[in-house]
Amino acid sequence: MNSQLAGETTNLDAIREGSGVTSGVPDGELLSRLVELTLDDSADNADELAGVRDAIVAAMDAPALVDAAAVIGNFQRMVRIADGTGIPLDKQVAMISADVRDELRLNEFGSANLTPAPGPIGRFLGRHLRPLLIKGIQMGRTQAAADD
Amino acid sequence: MQPFAYSNSPYPIRSDLSEAYRHAWTKLAAPGTWWSGGARVAIAQEVRNARDCELCRARKAALSPFAPIEGAHNSTTGLAPEVIDVVHRLTTDPSRLTEPWLQEQLGSELSVGRYVEIISVVVTTLCIDSFHRALGFELEPLPEALPGEPSRHTPTGLEEKTAWVPMIETLGETEQDLWPQPRMANVIRAMSLVPDAVRLLKVLSAAQYVPMQDVPNAAADGGRAISRAQIEFIAARVSAINDCFY
Repeated sequence: MNSQLAGETTNLDAIREGSGVTSGVPDGELLSRLVELTLDDSADNADELAGVRDAIVAAMDAPALVDAAAVIGNFQRMVRIADGTGIPLDKQVAMISADVRDELRLNEFGSANLTPAPGPIGRFLGRHLRPLLIKGIQMGRTQAAADD
Repeated sequence: MQPFAYSNSPYPIRSDLSEAYRHAWTKLAAPGTWWSGGARVAIAQEVRNARDCELCRARKAALSPFAPIEGAHNSTTGLAPEVIDVVHRLTTDPSRLTEPWLQEQLGSELSVGRYVEIISVVVTTLCIDSFHRALGFELEPLPEALPGEPSRHTPTGLEEKTAWVPMIETLGETEQDLWPQPRMANVIRAMSLVPDAVRLLKVLSAAQYVPMQDVPNAAADGGRAISRAQIEFIAARVSAINDCFY
């Protein structure tokens, strides 16, 4: 299944399955491999990780590698905040993401039971009012950022 | 030499990253809201110990994270065993934590405020260590703890119906800087029982992800060298590998 990720068409299987699947995101396979090797505590993979870093610098550039590493760090933090505090998805996000969560089989994750599954009406509204709901979320956050 | 100087780095490290990491190390060393500076640095050390912990590895491979498995955590600090266990679980197997498990942990050693502050120290250490691992850098030595007493500050306006831990619903006078009213995403509110944890989160997120004002705009890349689509793809892969639903 393809979906829009920040404006680019992305093969969602690549998010769940990893670097062996073509993502549609530029250099997505290299970036995915960087994530996988960084998060793998079970093996001594320093040489392979060094090779992926070299490949990213060659394909993109060194600042891109640094920014990718920073994003990895950021989401190592965010996932633990979410799982450690037991927060559910925010309501509007839950509505508009129901189909994508199904496709990615995210409902198999243990923490999925923290977010009530939307009923048929919620799914219908999520699908058909998606652009409006996204706009609403963006406007709310833009206002929040401006006020900050 | 000051921490996070990156003077021998083969890659150009943005100055805002170095500054955010130095800020985090300063906060890590200082007394927090519920833990002393010494305890906070010890928690950070346990995050690093968890990476090579055989008990954590065996638990992660087990069908249930609560299966009775013999053994002891790879630990080098004097923290209470239940605190060490919480730190190791948050570090190595966070997606299988449950509310009943948390309720069992809360007791004489661990209040809910202390638990939230543990999360803050764990994720602060891990997000910086992960950055170093991705780039092949040695881990930054942990800071020397600073003396002093925890502030024991509890914010007002808390609600307890959304998550396992109380979160701020209405910002009080001393928390007006946390986020603009009326609402903020749950993942930002999640640690608001310890307001300084939210403040530190905002500093690190602005450097590691994108500045706050760029978050809602899917086309904005925050001036990074990778596109927003690449940023969100990395974020999704990290979340998927961690089995994180959120």
